[in-house]
Amino acid sequence: MDNSVPLFDFAAVWSSRALLLEGFGIAMFCATAAIILAMIIGLFIALMRLSNSRILRAFAFVYTQLFRGVPLYVLVIWVYFGLAIVANINLPKIPAGIITLALLNSGYLSETFRSGILAVSVGQSEAGAAIGLTKRQIKRFIVLPQAFRIVLAPSGNQFVDAIKDTAILSIIGVPELMRMAQQQADLFYRPFEFYTTAGILYFIAVMGVTKLFTFIEKRMSRIGFTNSSQKLTNVGEYI
Amino acid sequence: MLEIKSVSKSFGELHVLKDVNLNVAKGEVVCIIGPSGSGKSTLLRCMNFISPPDSGEIVFDKVSWRSYRSKFNVLANLRYEKKLPQLRAEIGMVFQHFNVFPHMTTLENVSLGLQKVRKIKKDEAKQVATKSLEQVGLSDKLQVYPDQLSGGQKQRVAIARALALNPKVMLFDEVTSALDPELVSGILDEIRRLVREGMTMIIVTHEMKFAFQVAHRIVFMDQGKIVQVGTPAEIRNTQEPRAKAFLSSILE
Amino acid sequence: MDKYDFSWRIIQENLPELINGLIITLQISVAGMAFALLFGLFFATLRFSQYRILNIVSNSIVQVGRSLPLFVLLFWIYYGLSLKFKINFTDFQAGALALGITGGAYMAEVFRGGITAIDKGQSDAAFAIGLNRMQTSRLIVLPQAIRIILPQTVNIYVGLLKGATIVSVIGVADMIYVAQYVSLETFRPFELYSFAGVVFIALTLSVASFAWLLERQLSGKSRRG
Ligand SMILES: Nc1ncnc2c1ncn2[C@@H]1O[C@H](COP(=O)(O)OP(=O)(O)OP(=O)(O)O)[C@@H](O)[C@H]1O
Ligand SMILES: [Mg+2]
Repeated sequence: MDNSVPLFDFAAVWSSRALLLEGFGIAMFCATAAIILAMIIGLFIALMRLSNSRILRAFAFVYTQLFRGVPLYVLVIWVYFGLAIVANINLPKIPAGIITLALLNSGYLSETFRSGILAVSVGQSEAGAAIGLTKRQIKRFIVLPQAFRIVLAPSGNQFVDAIKDTAILSIIGVPELMRMAQQQADLFYRPFEFYTTAGILYFIAVMGVTKLFTFIEKRMSRIGFTNSSQKLTNVGEYI
Repeated sequence: MLEIKSVSKSFGELHVLKDVNLNVAKGEVVCIIGPSGSGKSTLLRCMNFISPPDSGEIVFDKVSWRSYRSKFNVLANLRYEKKLPQLRAEIGMVFQHFNVFPHMTTLENVSLGLQKVRKIKKDEAKQVATKSLEQVGLSDKLQVYPDQLSGGQKQRVAIARALALNPKVMLFDEVTSALDPELVSGILDEIRRLVREGMTMIIVTHEMKFAFQVAHRIVFMDQGKIVQVGTPAEIRNTQEPRAKAFLSSILE
Repeated sequence: MDKYDFSWRIIQENLPELINGLIITLQISVAGMAFALLFGLFFATLRFSQYRILNIVSNSIVQVGRSLPLFVLLFWIYYGLSLKFKINFTDFQAGALALGITGGAYMAEVFRGGITAIDKGQSDAAFAIGLNRMQTSRLIVLPQAIRIILPQTVNIYVGLLKGATIVSVIGVADMIYVAQYVSLETFRPFELYSFAGVVFIALTLSVASFAWLLERQLSGKSRRG
């Protein structure tokens, strides 16, 4: 190996720190916006799947299956290029990225919410009914608050996934962390250093979010929830 | 006060209730006994339509209630679902597994119905709830979440939750079965207190001694039918073979 | 913009190549899964080791593996590692390795979960009715562990299958890659990507439903038992 060039040289990385951090910020913004959207959509889809109407149930079923089955790579291309070709809708890059991630995650989250709602025991609804609450009141005051607690951990995992998934948005040119790292790596011809740095930044983000959700869960368990047997685990869906 | 008129119910092929009739007068205490799976819980749950009967009617306070579900008229279904809570609010129910709401404090558990069903203002609801909890001996646990309560205490919360709404009838479904033995008598004492106060009650129980003590009438059920109804004395000396077999098996 | 007129014949004309791409996708996902099982088993075993240091090391590696986007791993291995350490991975090897690392981090969790989920009371009870060690693990512990592990494993394979769609970014000639270069020649990106997308949806959904059926089948058995 050429001795004049140091084996590891992170000076280039340091000189590009502003760009990398900007990319990091954009990635986090996309993931956060997407997951908030996805939760809203996901809750509606979950309620549809649990409704009495056969049409709503069928729609929600197809929706979840579609967005749980479609690979992110394909979806982002559809949203960004496909919509432009077919419907003449030209979305800017970042909104296109956010919408893609939101659609994808809403599919998973709706399933999570659905099982969360179902995990609240029937006895709880019955007790609500027995004191004369209406169906809607039972949902609002009894079932959803408990379901919320149950889906907290899986939603945290989903958030983590959304963060990781932002890297794929680089293929439509969203200037997020991975895209920045790629550009700088090519510029300085230092792929190892830049991708390692990117990896470290993703790791920090993921750890941060994980810690945050653990903290929230702890707080919640202080107010009366120790029933962790209801926790959902669907680890395989999170790649 | 509460009339059950030819109520039937099945789960798929399984006929759980077969044309059951029963009349409960105001102030009366009726205990339902019978072997496991005979349909006692289901009958109780039909009375407030937590599980709606397939056919038959429940007459409560001279008003008749039937199961209703239209295939086409969604609005009528909604109207019916809106009406049912009115019935349920007048009938208190306590479950075997407590079913207290784990995400609410003791006080919130009890005041929820007052606020949302009886539409009482929050402060006033809290007062009523506090009183109700005092009566079951939980005045020092108002701000505690259920996971810090013993089984007996949870069941007291459930009783207070039902009583706070000032129901006309109380239904008890094996409310001591999930309790540690040393906690059973405390809950039974709560029910005895209600007996003294003249509450109309229908009690499903496996505690025979208790049933024979407090009941005005005892109902023996088997295989989805009421086999015999009578005063404690009549049931104790029954000649009906199934009731006799059941009682002798339970009283050794 | 003019109205885009669709020409689905393009799919038919390039079907053999697209299918070749699909086969490569399947191959790389299976290779990745093989790595994932290996890594997963290895790290799960380390986590049960009696040496604390091994627990910590494997824990951290699993943690890192779960935190890194597949995309970053691909580039890190294919461009970063190979340039830095002069390891010449083929694109296929790099892709399979990246998939294996991601999947392995999840598999380690699955194995660990499956093993710890089985209550010690179960083997105690088995010993109590006179079963020996072999019989206990064969008849009591393993069936229950598999019931937990198997559906999750298939789910992780679904994840890898979906992940495998991005290996074209380092030049693996999978179906997406084929769609990409055919559309460069024919200017038919929409048809080609849509076709690839639909095939992937069908593929992942069928494997996922298989996992779901498996889960129901297995948990149904336990309920009856
Ligand atoms: N939701 C349901 N779906 C299907 N079958 C049910 C349901 N609820 C009750 N059953 C069946 O109906 C029968 C009567 O049940 P029920 O709970 O009323 O009996 P019970 O007399 O209360 O018994 P126990 O003393 O064990 O509580 C049982 O065979 C039970 O399996
Ligand atoms: Mg019962």
